[in-house]
Amino acid sequence: MKLLRRLRTLFNKDRLDQQLTDELQFHFDKQVEQNLAAGMSPEEARYDALRKFGGVEQVKEECRDAWGVRFMNTLLQDVRYAFRMLAKNPGFTVVAILTLAIGIGANTAIFNLIDAVMLRKLPVERPSELRLVAIVDPGSAGEPDPTFTNPLWEQVHDRQDVFSGVFAWGGDQFDLAQGGAVDYVNGLWVSGDFFKTLELRPSAGRLLTASDDQRGCVGAAVLSYGFWQEHYGGAPSAIGSTISLSTHPFEVVGIAPPGFYGTEVGNKFDVAIPICAAALFDGKTSRLDRRSNWWLTVAGRIKPGLSAGQLATGLRVLSPAVFSAALPQDWSADGQKGFLRQVLVAKPAATGISSLRETFDRPLELLMGVVGLVLLIACANIASLMLARAASRQKELAMRQALGAGRFRLIRQLLTECLLLSSAGALVGILFAHWGTALLVRCISKAQDPVFLDLSLDGRVLGFTLAIAVFTSILFGLLPALRATRVSLTWAMKGAQAIKSARAGRFHSRHWIVATQVALSLVLLVAAGLFLRSFAKLATLDLGFDRNNVLIVSTNLNTAKIPRDLQFSTCEAIEGRLRALPGVTSAGRSVMTPVSGSGWNGLIQSEWSTALTRRRSIAWFSFVSPGYFQTLHMTLLAGRNFNSGDTHTAPAVVIVNQTLARRFFPNLNPIGKTFRIMDIAEKPGAPIEVVGVIKDSKYRSTREEASPIAFFPATQIPGESEADTFELRTAIPPSALVSAVQAAVGEVNKQIPIEFHTLAEQVNDSMVQERMLALLSGFFGALALLLAMIGLYGTLSYLVGQRQTEFGIRMALGAEPVSILRLVMRSVVSVLAAGVIAGVGISLAATRVLQQLLFGLSAHDALTIIAAVTVLSVVALVAGYLPARQATRVDPMVALRNE
Amino acid sequence: MGKSIDLLQGTLDLLILKTLALEPMHGWGISQRIQQISHDSLQVQQGSLYPALHRLEQQEWIASEWGASENNRKAKYYRLTDSGRRQLEAETAKWERLSAAVAQILQTA
Repeated sequence: MKLLRRLRTLFNKDRLDQQLTDELQFHFDKQVEQNLAAGMSPEEARYDALRKFGGVEQVKEECRDAWGVRFMNTLLQDVRYAFRMLAKNPGFTVVAILTLAIGIGANTAIFNLIDAVMLRKLPVERPSELRLVAIVDPGSAGEPDPTFTNPLWEQVHDRQDVFSGVFAWGGDQFDLAQGGAVDYVNGLWVSGDFFKTLELRPSAGRLLTASDDQRGCVGAAVLSYGFWQEHYGGAPSAIGSTISLSTHPFEVVGIAPPGFYGTEVGNKFDVAIPICAAALFDGKTSRLDRRSNWWLTVAGRIKPGLSAGQLATGLRVLSPAVFSAALPQDWSADGQKGFLRQVLVAKPAATGISSLRETFDRPLELLMGVVGLVLLIACANIASLMLARAASRQKELAMRQALGAGRFRLIRQLLTECLLLSSAGALVGILFAHWGTALLVRCISKAQDPVFLDLSLDGRVLGFTLAIAVFTSILFGLLPALRATRVSLTWAMKGAQAIKSARAGRFHSRHWIVATQVALSLVLLVAAGLFLRSFAKLATLDLGFDRNNVLIVSTNLNTAKIPRDLQFSTCEAIEGRLRALPGVTSAGRSVMTPVSGSGWNGLIQSEWSTALTRRRSIAWFSFVSPGYFQTLHMTLLAGRNFNSGDTHTAPAVVIVNQTLARRFFPNLNPIGKTFRIMDIAEKPGAPIEVVGVIKDSKYRSTREEASPIAFFPATQIPGESEADTFELRTAIPPSALVSAVQAAVGEVNKQIPIEFHTLAEQVNDSMVQERMLALLSGFFGALALLLAMIGLYGTLSYLVGQRQTEFGIRMALGAEPVSILRLVMRSVVSVLAAGVIAGVGISLAATRVLQQLLFGLSAHDALTIIAAVTVLSVVALVAGYLPARQATRVDPMVALRNE
Repeated sequence: MGKSIDLLQGTLDLLILKTLALEPMHGWGISQRIQQISHDSLQVQQGSLYPALHRLEQQEWIASEWGASENNRKAKYYRLTDSGRRQLEAETAKWERLSAAVAQILQTA
């Protein structure tokens, strides 16, 4: 009620003021009337009434105080006044708001990403109850491993007594097309209790339940809300329809709730199907029973009232039975011992799981620091501008102080202006952040594996933006406000010039601000330089193959249901047709391509180097056709390529890389020598003869050290695999070949699914972290440089303006323009030197944390630091020279007349 | 005028409430009434009456409305509210206890 009254007063202020005046006027008139009646002259009556009443304005003010709206009122007044002041100076206002918007926007964008990747809880009921189950080998120091085989998961599911519900899932890709170019959707294998334990409710139809996930199931599918909207327009008829996933028909039974994208942050699922359906995909040796196929993630909801310690104990007690029941029978005795030793552990999983976190947590933290520095530099710029403005408003402020305004009141008013500026900056900044974050996500996405993140602005992000807006306004506003209100009234009234020239020679606060900016910008430039050089080194690295103009065509003959014994000839036929296509200069095929993310390795043994440790005995394998090396431009250093004589039944042969040759045949000519591969039980296989040596090349990632690689002929692949990935070296842009390739493969068999990539894109994807750091640190470094330059230029222009009279007098007394120039440049150089020294110091101390993220470069790389200092100095000197030259053009007459 | 007493803080509020307990009245009337009743022994700076009135109104012990005065001029009339009446009783009781106590001390000391 009282609040209501207050608010009413606030909005009816003018009317209430009028009423107050009327009320007091009535009183006054009555008194005059009485005085007249008592026989006073009209003049005397008025005078007496005034005297009896006391100060009218004071009484009014006290009455307004009684309304309790004075605080709000002055606030409104301040805001109105601030608006007027800002509108009066649109140039300053726009520059300040844009500068802040960039600073605040960059911070919001990076924080939004951090929030989405690391902090946001899954959109399910009580996410804090969720725990991820992982496997730890107490005998090794490795991280807990969160992947499970299906037999292991079934054991956990059947035996556990610590979770009120437990569930498993695995990500996969399903092809919607029936042969030809693939149309992948993100699939999710889920256990029967997945949706129930997460307590999700369907948007339509029903979700999968335990009864859908039974051995021998026919397959039911749940679509994500987004996929339903996109592919079915949200039509209810989708329920009950059939969807073909990698040629297997599934009945759509329901739609997941909107906002639920899966449990893996960074991916979104389109279709979820029960784990039991893997049997439909795999045939008789399904991964449901394979004890060495790790493809599931397991999580549960902790039982109410159970402590973390009880949970850990429960899982530990459970472990022996689980692992012995799911023991891989074909492993070596040592391997089995290690397997049985493992224990289950639980980790909090409220935020889901994400592979993005490992790759990007440090880069993101680093970028948060970078944008923090950018914001500081931006604040310094605005503080400079505010100081300059405060100086030009000195007369106004002095006048208001002389008229009785308190210092606190003036500071409050100046800070209100700052708050208004930073609020506007924050609003524009949120807009910047909105598309900035989308760009960032593109930046961390791989061409072959785009990242999906829920980027809606939640309360945490908005709170963060609000906090930095308030913080920045205090940061850039307080110092200028304190300085501006500390004025000598008489001096100020006489004219601002007099004060300034009194202390013109000093290295005062504005210089400090600029020196700080120079230092911070230098730190950012050094970081940017390091990341750019690191990325350049990585990007121009000799990979051992030529990434350009290679089209990769992946097929899957199993999906096309081509019988095993026909697969080899089918591949041969496809390779032949592709080689004959116009625009293709050579073609080859292999089981995998370099830096694709997949790998195949094993232990090998040679009689010439028997003392190798187990880790150093690992070699990486590939199976390739004779055309492979030529297509990838890999150099054969010795021996021969594979040829048509290396058939399935011919003696086993291998081409090894330099590292393998050096390690397993030290100081020997490897050609003609043999090595053996250990099988899964660690028994050596038949000898394989080395027929060639090839130059070292990258296998898994561009960052890796050279590792031993063995290339075997595609004809001699053991087991179920087939070299069904084709590489084409093209004379025309690879993408132009897509339709011709589709037609050629279709001529062989229309059912074969085809996927296209380029080798260049695959290589780029392996450098996504470095690329992002180089791109963003380069961008923010340039931004910092620009801001620092503006700051320096602005400050010097202003200071030169302030010292105009002094320069005028000097020149009138015979000073040469050169000496004036020297005078001004001397302060530029001293500011620059102070900033550079501090900046180099901070860089040396701070860049050590970057070391881990750099490739082939020390964090204290002298060249980078020198380059950054040079760039900064040149830019600063140019920014300083322009106002300095202005100083030499001062007309002594004009300057003196000003006084 | 020589023997006028300065008002204790809070006393003015009590006097206003007491005055309004008789009948609704405008500011001028209240100031006249206080002077009359106290036989000019209480000196109220006329202006200071108004902040007190506005404060009491904010407390909702008195309410105001615009009405016609004796010579048909528009004037702002104040009246006591129910909570104002209770406040007056409480304040009166308090005041009586205080003055009795002070009187007691002055007599015995």
